[in-house]
Amino acid sequence: MKKTYTDKQLIEQLQNDNKSALFELYNRYSGALYGVVLRICGDENKAEDLLQETFLKIWQKIHLYDPDKGRFFTWAYRIAKNTTLNALRNTKDLIQNEDLSVYESKSESETPDYSDLCGSIKKLDSHHQEALELVYYKGLTHREAHEEMGVPLGTFKSYIQQALRELRKTYQKELFLLWLLIETMG
Amino acid sequence: MDRNSIKEDGILEQYLLGELNREQRAEVHSILQEDPELKKHFSTMEADFERLAMENAIAPHPRVKESLEKALAKAETPPTQDSKVVPLKNNKRSYFYAAASLAAIFLLSSFWLYNQWQSSEENLQVLQNKTSDLQERLVTLEKNYEETNGRYQTINNPNVIPLLLTGNQVLPGSRAVAYVNHRTKQVVLNPQGLPALESDKTYQMWADVDGVMINMGVVPIDEELISLKYIDKAESLNITIEPAGGNDHPTVENLISNVYL
Repeated sequence: MKKTYTDKQLIEQLQNDNKSALFELYNRYSGALYGVVLRICGDENKAEDLLQETFLKIWQKIHLYDPDKGRFFTWAYRIAKNTTLNALRNTKDLIQNEDLSVYESKSESETPDYSDLCGSIKKLDSHHQEALELVYYKGLTHREAHEEMGVPLGTFKSYIQQALRELRKTYQKELFLLWLLIETMG
Repeated sequence: MDRNSIKEDGILEQYLLGELNREQRAEVHSILQEDPELKKHFSTMEADFERLAMENAIAPHPRVKESLEKALAKAETPPTQDSKVVPLKNNKRSYFYAAASLAAIFLLSSFWLYNQWQSSEENLQVLQNKTSDLQERLVTLEKNYEETNGRYQTINNPNVIPLLLTGNQVLPGSRAVAYVNHRTKQVVLNPQGLPALESDKTYQMWADVDGVMINMGVVPIDEELISLKYIDKAESLNITIEPAGGNDHPTVENLISNVYL
């Protein structure tokens, strides 16, 4: 059986130029990161390129990652989001120079199915869902997102905090059920 | 910014999502390092977001991984090197090569020009030498010509009387030719027919005026024509052999030739 490394071990290997560690991290996180990239950019071809670019950046910048500052996934998420937003900003500039109306109608017609979220977030109140989606899956900042939702910044911030608290409860409940299941089976 | 504002004001969420600037990030980081409870809260938040991401994961097409493998196989450079740096280095290198090529071309052409210049200089030197040589020869020729012409003019002149002085019994077979011009009062002698003497002897020419021999000058025999003193009213010209340097009075027994005017 293949030995399973922890994230920490994989990162240490990666920092020592071990490429296979990158592929192991890819196996673990590419789906979660692709979910973010694809939802922000809304174009599969582009999202695939951006996902590759994200992992190349992880490979190039892994020496800058400091475990004291947070989880590897948080760091990788920021890279993926920024890479995607930068790419979109450049494309947007190009398209807007040509014809704004074309771009807008195109983006509407290309609104894909995969923008739908699933899992625990679906159990939240709709405004909590929307708030989380805007900052996490649309790549908006708090300032942009509160305008998008049409609520004051303070209110928006509390939406996010409440949403996270609710999410936490769901996860704890699931953990409890899992624990109960294991206990019962045992 | 303090512990409470970070927690209550949504700053921690913004920190997690990467919305803060460098300065704010450093501040939040240092507060988190000093506050284990807050750090734990942040870790939970990170885990929740990660779980949210995992629940909404979308499996990318396998070609992305293949493409990544290819891209990494190409990138043999250390991960610390930004790919943007590479073209810049190449650029620098190509600038260096361009500069080196230009320098080489400049060096070669300078060398070539220097060689050309040197050979031109040599040619010029040779030409200058030839010119000055020719000039010298011309001067010599002119001098010779003037001399010869002068002599010719001196002897080939209607006013000139050529006189042949043949040797007597003392020096038979010897001969000299004197050219006398009474108008210009000039006398020249061609001594080529006189035999060579011992080194302490010399020929000397005399003019006879009323029975008195007057010195006209010594006669070296290594010259073609010798100018001598013209003596008025001379009746004859006489050649004697005298001690080297000439004599005040002729040694009559050594008279070798005479001719009447």
